[in-house]
Amino acid sequence: MSQHVQGNKAILTDTTKCIGCRECVLACKQRNKLEQDKPRRWSLDDGLSARNWTSIVERPGGDYVRKQCRHCLEPACVSVCPVGALSKSETGAVIYDGDKCMGCRYCMMACPYGIPRYDWDLAVPYVRKCILCDDQVKQGGSPACTEACPTGATIFGTRDELIVEARRRIEADPDRYVNHIWGEDEVGGTSVMMISNIDLSFLSYGTKLDSTPLPARTKTAMGAVPAVFAGMAATMTGLHWIIKRRMENHGAVPTVEEEGDNGNGGDA
Amino acid sequence: MNRARTLKTVLWTITGFAAAVALTRFVFGLGATTNLTDGVPWGFWIGFDVMGGVALAAGGFVLTAFVYIFKREELHPIVRPAVLTAFLGYLAVIFGLLFDLGLPWNIWHMIVWWNPHSPLFEVGWCVMLYTSVLALEFLPVPLEDQPRWQSIHRFLSKLRIPLVITGISLSTLHQSSLGTLFTIMPYRVHPLWYSPILPILFFLSAVMLGLFMVTFESETTSWIYKKKPETHLLAKLNKATPFIIGLYILVRFIDLGVRGQLGVLAEGGWQVGMFWVEILAFMALPLLLMAIPKSRNNTNLLWTASWLGVFGVVLNRINTGGLMHQGRGVEAYLPGWTEIAISIGVVSAAALVFLFVIEHFNILDARPVDPEKAPTEKPHFEPVGMVWLGSPEVSARTGFSLAFVLAAGVGMMLLSGKTVRSEGLEPTVVIAARGGDTLFVDGNRDGYGVAFTHQQHERRMMETEANCATCHHMNLPGDEQSNCASCHADQYMTTDAFGHDWHSSPAGGKLSCTQCHAAGEVRSADNAKQCDACHTDLVPEYASIEINSYEAPAYTDAMHKLCIGCHQEQAVALEQEGLPRCTQCHGEMRNVVTADARSVPIRPAPGVVLPPSTVEE
Repeated sequence: MSQHVQGNKAILTDTTKCIGCRECVLACKQRNKLEQDKPRRWSLDDGLSARNWTSIVERPGGDYVRKQCRHCLEPACVSVCPVGALSKSETGAVIYDGDKCMGCRYCMMACPYGIPRYDWDLAVPYVRKCILCDDQVKQGGSPACTEACPTGATIFGTRDELIVEARRRIEADPDRYVNHIWGEDEVGGTSVMMISNIDLSFLSYGTKLDSTPLPARTKTAMGAVPAVFAGMAATMTGLHWIIKRRMENHGAVPTVEEEGDNGNGGDA
Repeated sequence: MNRARTLKTVLWTITGFAAAVALTRFVFGLGATTNLTDGVPWGFWIGFDVMGGVALAAGGFVLTAFVYIFKREELHPIVRPAVLTAFLGYLAVIFGLLFDLGLPWNIWHMIVWWNPHSPLFEVGWCVMLYTSVLALEFLPVPLEDQPRWQSIHRFLSKLRIPLVITGISLSTLHQSSLGTLFTIMPYRVHPLWYSPILPILFFLSAVMLGLFMVTFESETTSWIYKKKPETHLLAKLNKATPFIIGLYILVRFIDLGVRGQLGVLAEGGWQVGMFWVEILAFMALPLLLMAIPKSRNNTNLLWTASWLGVFGVVLNRINTGGLMHQGRGVEAYLPGWTEIAISIGVVSAAALVFLFVIEHFNILDARPVDPEKAPTEKPHFEPVGMVWLGSPEVSARTGFSLAFVLAAGVGMMLLSGKTVRSEGLEPTVVIAARGGDTLFVDGNRDGYGVAFTHQQHERRMMETEANCATCHHMNLPGDEQSNCASCHADQYMTTDAFGHDWHSSPAGGKLSCTQCHAAGEVRSADNAKQCDACHTDLVPEYASIEINSYEAPAYTDAMHKLCIGCHQEQAVALEQEGLPRCTQCHGEMRNVVTADARSVPIRPAPGVVLPPSTVEE
């Protein structure tokens, strides 16, 4: 691997190969120096927390599904962060700059997969989530979880080659897999993709995500902002001028006291 | 007691109570003082303080538009309180936001680091700018009594129309952008509240709420200070209200129709109920009350209509802001008393400032008389010791301080329990083992754990005198069940797999000493035969395992690494890459518990009968 990164880096997780050993969870904790954790009032039951950036969810039927940040190609979290604390790295990872963050937690609200977690127990809290081991990847390494996986259930590569590999696996053994690559098209595509023998839409509020990138949904309204401002200001100025002129012509009311407020009977 | 003083005492009490919670919030974090979770990161503080607060302050821009743009001069007497309410409202929003932000000292970051794609960035900037505009709009009021500042006063008065127009435009932007905030959450917000045109709906309801709020605030102030209510003015203002409410309801239903979500209304459920409550009780009812001229001109009915409307729009904001978000397998979020205390505390503080300002500046047509300042009031005595409480003003202030301090004390008392000590940790609810009987126990959450077969433990232990409480008890603080080691005390000890007694027993193996140990030597494990000398098929020919030790690994070694740990170590030690491959043990089976690992049964050596317990089950 060269020093500079080529293409959007990605992870492909094949849940049919996962045996639920949680080596990835441990490797992630060691690489990112995450402390030990215990169940808290605010924890969800998916095992992710401010100190667990990836987790294994056990599904009825003995299937294991790994949860982590999906590193969307057009991430909702990056688009909504008012201070730009979240950003897309050149590797494709969605990374976080705690020094900019002001703690509004809009990213947590906007994420369609409900991934970012918060340091609820700390007086100085930060948003925490998988960063695709961005530092290592930039130096030609790979994420800790993919290095640790004993069965090769989760692998690292460029997004394009992983999509090819995923499709090859599904075609080679169509009975084993649901014919879908989760993350290929959803919300405009994600860098962490999954193939599985079960339906994985439980990872996103139980609904199927369509292929519209989420930032596109606020684009119209946000694009209209300058026009609305100018339009409203122009309309109000125009109205003010017309109404004032009309009233002066009719002579019904003396000139409005916009200069020197009358103070409502006060001592102006 | 008079109304103003009673009200102020109540407000000071609430503020004191909130102050205690506020202190706790900043020392112990959000987890200790809110019911927010990773699944519900926005709650009451965003829904009420910020979204509701901004909407509540909409009276400012709506009324300035009526008076300064549309020249409805007759409404002039209520424009000052409306601008004041808006100004204080925005200050309260910013102040309230400081509690909700995780890193409130970074609130200024938005000025330096820009992300113009973010609706929240837009809202933030508009709120900053509009608060400044409101400050400039309001500044002439305190300045008008100051002869030294008359030039500034005159300058600001000349700027009035540009300021009003800027204010209206900024308000249009951020009132609607508060709706835009949620358009990025199509999968999260309930279909009855989600809409791509949320910005338009939010703007319409903000205009509506502006009118309600001006009415409510004016009628309430009149009541507090026993002034003549300005119903005749407000009735005129509210001629427009029914049309705006009607338009809002119409747009909302058309939007549901266009999106094909009208069917959701037939589905039932509490969300649908909430939708109808919002529409019928808090929108249609005030519409009706304001549409009929007779009720519109009646002070009590107009006041009722206004607070219904205010409540309705705030409810809509809370619903859109979090209450009506799709469940995520977590318990429904309800705000904690601490959250409500802070919110009401912020409002109370703003109300106290409002009362102070209208008593000291020319806001209303006549300054309401501060009842404590009445010089003719008789002296009050403290009822027990008959001590003079000072002049009415001093005694009122003493009363307020006392209320504040006592309430803060009570608040501290309520907070000083488990919540704070355990940094928000509360007993976790027992969740049934997912995926069947087997529980993955990972006490320290390091990712390693054991597969715990609950049902099997239960069955075996019930045969003895044990019951559920043997493991699930509460004997130590924070202790909810026994750990494995309290029964499996030997879980860290390696085990001798060789049953010496059985082998030498006449009832068992019937072996004499020399059959295993060399004769004439001190008998020890070192000079004994190896197991496979007799048990020739103990290790199948094709097995890759070499036996060097007859000690079984300890529970912790065997189970905590879930087999794979040793396999990995051995793969390196023996240079056999295939050893940690899953299929080595699992074949096609992927369940750890039912792993087909013991595919080679141990058979007895020729002529030896094994005890029943070692025979394959």
